[in-house]
Amino acid sequence: MMATGNRAVVDDLALRHLDAAYNLGRWLLGNEQDAADAVHDAYLRAARACDTYAGGNARAWWLAIVRNCCLARLALRNKEKANVAIDDNPVAAERLMPHDESGGVEDQVDGAIRRRQMAMHLDRLPAMFREVLILREIEELSYREIADVLEAPIGTVMSRLARGRALLQKALTDDGTVEAPHGL
Amino acid sequence: MDCKTAAELVPLYFDGELDRATSREVEAHLDTCADCQAALIELDALRRALRHDVPRFSAPDTLRRRVAESATVAMPPSSDRRGSSRRRTWLALAASWVLAFTAGGFTLGMWNQVASSGHAESQLDRDLFASHWRALAAASPIDVVSTDQHTVKPWFAGKVATAPVVRDFAAQGYALMGGRVDYVGNERVPVLVYRHGKHLIDVFVLPGPVTHEGHEAVQMQGYSLENANLGGQKAIIVSDMDRDELLHFRDLLNSVT
Repeated sequence: MMATGNRAVVDDLALRHLDAAYNLGRWLLGNEQDAADAVHDAYLRAARACDTYAGGNARAWWLAIVRNCCLARLALRNKEKANVAIDDNPVAAERLMPHDESGGVEDQVDGAIRRRQMAMHLDRLPAMFREVLILREIEELSYREIADVLEAPIGTVMSRLARGRALLQKALTDDGTVEAPHGL
Repeated sequence: MDCKTAAELVPLYFDGELDRATSREVEAHLDTCADCQAALIELDALRRALRHDVPRFSAPDTLRRRVAESATVAMPPSSDRRGSSRRRTWLALAASWVLAFTAGGFTLGMWNQVASSGHAESQLDRDLFASHWRALAAASPIDVVSTDQHTVKPWFAGKVATAPVVRDFAAQGYALMGGRVDYVGNERVPVLVYRHGKHLIDVFVLPGPVTHEGHEAVQMQGYSLENANLGGQKAIIVSDMDRDELLHFRDLLNSVT
């Protein structure tokens, strides 16, 4: 029997956090169509699973489902390409980071270019670091919520966040997208 | 707190994940350590760059329609914007620190002058002035920007022990700008922010046990403190307004029941 009360909660949840879900999917999957499909899958899965939702942090529960749907798609897509999966060890994942070939000091003044570079660097980050950065800095989830989404311990969240920030910072400083802050 | 510990805690402090006591220890260390300040500034710069320069993709209408059609109940269009104001408080705190640090010698200089002045101003007075200046140095001295008292009051509920009475005095020339949460001593207190002409006015609404010794207005660096009674709660006004304007505003606050 469907608990209609719960179903309404899930519908409301999915619609209220649709932008967050889509943004996460878009950054994990890299294109609009896949992201939209993954979020729709996630919604159907959440609606089916609404009876098993036991309360707690609803947004993290919903985003965890979205993430799982994205990873499933990613795995399917990568089957032929034999890429490093998202949860492989960080050292191997970091080796995938291409070294930047962009430069052009005079380009950096332009805001549009800066935005493009920022997006490019974020895109180049291994997905495991990209997702914590999106969840923390853009979606403003707490460590606990991110841990719930990742289904990983908080310690893992903290170390990935630290590593992701350091990698992104380094990439940005290297090509001058963000000025290196100098003390005082 | 030694630098090694602090360096590990700075990101957690920045993310608002520390309890109050540890936060204050980190803040005390930040006051003295340029390296940790730089680390905090770096975190803030990265976050600003991410929020500012990275596109946040909104769900396309087609997707919204697809989901809404499968949903059993009709939902109003999403008005969910990013994040909760809880974390915005922390961002503002972090931002105000960062700006205070970048303002560098300015803020610290004032602080030292205050601290070393032989007049034995109470710790509370110094806290209040420092917090007012820190807010002025920040990008925005306000966490919830609203001229509507009915928005500001509920915003405080849940963030501080007692939400203050919030009144707009725009008609009298003191317009309500919004509010923020700040620290005074060990307490989180609500701060109402008003504007009078070009003067920014902070009204700190103090919880019961804190008592303010000042009988007369305290002056510092051209800023004044004035006591008021805001609907039965002790309030302290900090601003650089003229004495007469300040007293007029105090009377307005006192008239709130």
